[in-house]
Amino acid sequence: MGFLAAGLGAGIIALGAGIGIGMIGKSATESIARQPEAAGDIRGAMLLTAVFIEGVALIGAIVCILLALGIGQ
Amino acid sequence: MGQFLRCTAVAVLFLLAFNSDLFAADTSEDQDSVIDVMGKVVDHDYFELIGGKKVYLPRILLVDGEWYFYSNTQAAIESGNFVQGETGIERADGASVTLDFSITSHLIYVWLSLIVTLLITIWAARRYRRGVGAETEPQGAWQNIFEILFVFIRDDIAKEFIPENKYKKYVAYLFTIFMAIAFMNLFGLLPWAAAATANITVTATLALITFAVTQFSGTKDHWQHVFAFPGVPGWSRIILTPVEILGLFTKPFALAIRLFANMLSGKIMIVIILGLIFIFADLFGNAVGLSSSIFWVLLTAALYFLKALIALIQAYVFTLLTAVFIGMAAEEHHHEHDETSVAQARDVEV
Repeated sequence: MGFLAAGLGAGIIALGAGIGIGMIGKSATESIARQPEAAGDIRGAMLLTAVFIEGVALIGAIVCILLALGIGQ
Repeated sequence: MGQFLRCTAVAVLFLLAFNSDLFAADTSEDQDSVIDVMGKVVDHDYFELIGGKKVYLPRILLVDGEWYFYSNTQAAIESGNFVQGETGIERADGASVTLDFSITSHLIYVWLSLIVTLLITIWAARRYRRGVGAETEPQGAWQNIFEILFVFIRDDIAKEFIPENKYKKYVAYLFTIFMAIAFMNLFGLLPWAAAATANITVTATLALITFAVTQFSGTKDHWQHVFAFPGVPGWSRIILTPVEILGLFTKPFALAIRLFANMLSGKIMIVIILGLIFIFADLFGNAVGLSSSIFWVLLTAALYFLKALIALIQAYVFTLLTAVFIGMAAEEHHHEHDETSVAQARDVEV
């Protein structure tokens, strides 16, 4: 069951993080296309937000690894 | 001179701080597995040279208040005081190692990257002191690269996120941490070497230093935000204060986990994709394994470029978030709730 939970959890994490980072990328490219001179600022903001999403996703991934390794049972 | 002393002190602190017994000397390898995937990323009690020659590193062990020094693990076992236990070595009478100060391969790479950082910085500083780059244009490719990196850290990271009047004293720390992490990550690209940042103890120590720097640079406003959030009803502080205190610790925790997980997964991915050659050969015969190897090797080559990029991006991200956290703590807010103070603030700003 631990393996199943870990696998499903990893999938859901990838889904959530993918949607989140995809939305950031979408709005960032749209903003750069709209206002190319602000590309530098937009890129910084984009990276910062993406990094926060990544952090949450990685904490989820660590939980999945712990589940798969059977730690905490 | 004072700056040199400070650099040395920081370096010595780093040297003392970095030690890892979490993944140290895991010799219980699975005999059935053809490729030891985790063996490529975990810490070892030896330092691998080019060509696979192993240099065994000294063991420094503290067991129940007694210190033991050995030139390597083999010497520790041969002396009769230690035996090979399940998770590592333990004392002959069964007492487990209290603290393991042994020098490990990851520690060597931490030292190497710090030494490289220190040498580059001292070299550049001496050039600038001579006037090259300070009075003239920077000379040569290396000084130009250095200046690009330094100006990038100063202008795009420090100045951007830390308040204008305070950012200068953090530039040194941010630059050090950027260079050190970048070199630690890039060492992981060498086939025989290991990325020290793929070890949670290394990244946790780095995050701990960032945590300390952040808290020590916290202003009154920062602590007020933590313990008594301004401008909210009193009862909601019952929820807000614990959340804010928790937030202090989750920030460096996420910082450590992010770097660790990224570097760990990179190396594992490369080893596993190369391992697919042997899995295919096992399942479908040698011919399929051999012919599919072209694809896997090309994929690995592509992944190497991605990993080089990730190495630099993660160093950048760590530095960026450090600057953001310091900036959040060092910021002085202007919370005005009554008319007079707003008016006063407006006068000050004008």
